[in-house]
Amino acid sequence: MTAPAASADAPSARSFSSAGLVSVAQLAIVAVLLAGALLWMGPQQFVNALTLGAIYALIAIGYTLVYGIIELINFAHGDVFMVGTFLSLIFLTTLGFNGAITEPGLLALVLAGDFIFTMIALGLIGVLIERVAYRPLRNAPRLAPLITAIGVSFILQNAVQGVPPYFGFGPFNANSPQVFPTDWFVTLGNASIPVLSLFIIVTAVVMMIALQLFIGRTRIGRAMRSTALDRDAAALMGVNINRTIAITFLLGSALAGAAGVTFGLQYGVTNSGLGFNAGLKAFTAAVLGGIGNTVGAALGGFIIGFIEVGAAVAGLNRWSAAIVFGVLVIVLVFRPSGILGQQTGERA
Amino acid sequence: MKFARVGAAIAAAAIVVAACGGTANSGKTVKVGITLPLSGSSLASAGPARDGALLAIKEANAAGTVKGYTIEPVIKDHAVNGQYDAQQGAKDMTALVSDPAVVAVVGPFNSAVAKVQIPISNEAGLAQCSPANTNPDLTKGDAGKELRAKQPDKINYVRVATTDDIQGPAVAQYAFQDLGLKNVAIIDDLTVYGKGIADAFTAEFEKLGGKVVGREGADPKTTDFLPILTKFKDLNPDSVFYGGVTANGGGLVRKQMPQAGLGDLPYLGGDGIQDQNGGVQGSFINIAGPAAENSFSSVAAIHDIPDAAAFAEKYTAEYKADPGAYSASGYACMQIFIKALADAAAKGDITREAVRAGVTSGASFDTVLGPVTFDEVGDTSQKIISLYKTDMTAADGKGDWIFDKQIDYGAS
Repeated sequence: MTAPAASADAPSARSFSSAGLVSVAQLAIVAVLLAGALLWMGPQQFVNALTLGAIYALIAIGYTLVYGIIELINFAHGDVFMVGTFLSLIFLTTLGFNGAITEPGLLALVLAGDFIFTMIALGLIGVLIERVAYRPLRNAPRLAPLITAIGVSFILQNAVQGVPPYFGFGPFNANSPQVFPTDWFVTLGNASIPVLSLFIIVTAVVMMIALQLFIGRTRIGRAMRSTALDRDAAALMGVNINRTIAITFLLGSALAGAAGVTFGLQYGVTNSGLGFNAGLKAFTAAVLGGIGNTVGAALGGFIIGFIEVGAAVAGLNRWSAAIVFGVLVIVLVFRPSGILGQQTGERA
Repeated sequence: MKFARVGAAIAAAAIVVAACGGTANSGKTVKVGITLPLSGSSLASAGPARDGALLAIKEANAAGTVKGYTIEPVIKDHAVNGQYDAQQGAKDMTALVSDPAVVAVVGPFNSAVAKVQIPISNEAGLAQCSPANTNPDLTKGDAGKELRAKQPDKINYVRVATTDDIQGPAVAQYAFQDLGLKNVAIIDDLTVYGKGIADAFTAEFEKLGGKVVGREGADPKTTDFLPILTKFKDLNPDSVFYGGVTANGGGLVRKQMPQAGLGDLPYLGGDGIQDQNGGVQGSFINIAGPAAENSFSSVAAIHDIPDAAAFAEKYTAEYKADPGAYSASGYACMQIFIKALADAAAKGDITREAVRAGVTSGASFDTVLGPVTFDEVGDTSQKIISLYKTDMTAADGKGDWIFDKQIDYGAS
């Protein structure tokens, strides 16, 4: 009884579905909201919101991917992102890049190397975490992997603080090299838009589109979707479940790695406690957008970016966290499955 | 129960034997707690205060100042993940209070921690001396009374730093009169200290005729100050004041100001951003990097201490580093306790009450900061604010805070 019932309501909530978003009416609503935000906050704050939102969105997708496929709230994901900020820092400082690189060719090369290294390394760390901490508990009661996730979160924090020679940063704020010059601006009317912000937004959007295509168009993506839909049936159809879940963790963690690189470039600082706050906001983004839905997670990330920056614009920055979570509560009251999560009657 | 008593007797006997076997001057041991945030970003500012206090203990033990006793420090670190943590501070204070051998406590560093520690130490009648707390509400007025509600008549908390109702205005006067700033934008870190000093700064700055063009608060955990700074840019300030500490974003705000197009403006703060040089990980100058240029800060204590050279010499000999902003204050707190301990020992027995009464008797203490007397609520008679400016060529090019001047508000 339980298995068929689960698979009956599963497709809606956890099929990574993005179908239904691209209706003209919905696009129009988004366009109107964006135009309104742009007019109200001005181009510079608009770009600030998009930048912050892009970073949240990249992290949020990791939550949603993992939840979509094994229904686990991966509480360690915020700390995976934090490790990503440090991997990027280590990559850049080891190669001797401590300040801005103004030569475009070299900058492109260093950034490409940084993204590739951090994303692959962090992706593999994600796979390792899944193998060690979650796979053995896949059939255990749901609370068990939740607790191991919290454990992994602490292990990652302490590893960054105390494991030499690569880590061992202590609980300090560590300076992350801002190799992308922070004093490059595009002038737009009387607003000067940092080129770095535009770079971050474009990079994040490109990655999200690539992920969407990967899930929607490739064999592995199809395996992921079918595993999310019904793990047992997918296994019977010849899908390698373990490998598919590992790849999901790889993708989620790699995107967190990209978020880590962009975070370091944008804010120039990181510390081992970063994961908690970032993870909380990104998790909120995933829930807000409809957990299990990758487009929803991205949307949620941008919404939170806009709420936080909007709070500052309105002079309410003091209450920005309260406003973010207030919006979350209101949305969940009316749409318990999030903005893009499809409404289901019975959901545990 | 019986076994426990027998065990205790054996242990006591063992201690007596051990004591007799030891050197002659080390009779009994008396403990003094040190409760400070000593890891992560807080270490850069609070570490030197601890070292100052330990130096005083070392000297007193070597000289046998407290006759018949050896002073033993009990160090408690209430930084959690690199940031000071009030809850941990309360736990540490509870632990210190419940150890009967602890007769006095040096610390804490941050006003938010003091706010939760004072009620605990007050109930126990345990003397506490903060080298750095500056929030006025810890001692003054109804807020102060509320903190010592358990034993209102027994002042147990004193501090050698003066208060933000003097420090905030001092920075405001410095900004307005010395730096010629007229339109300031303010960020605070939502903490007891940060909001307090920002309020005090605002009041004085406006009284002088300056204008506060914007005021925002930012969560201590946030790393993104660009929205606030972008907003400030439209308000055309000629400077930015940060009410808060480095660990909560004092350095990050400065670092992000160039990104928001505000890099040319002077940056002001209180003692919360006044920590060690740019070579020390997590310090204001280290985090802000090159942007730290043209920043100004204060310390709610005397800079030109009466015998600065001698203190710096022995401090450097001990720690191979220059004294930090609150090294002398930590040393002074411990000097005051040592005097009280010595007096109590001379009269017979060292008890918590004897130490507390000695410290708050209104007597003048001769400290490294100069003579210090505590008033009826425990605040220091020494009302001096020192002002500093960053110099990025100092400390071998790593950047450091350079003393500019000190103002004595004691007369007024």
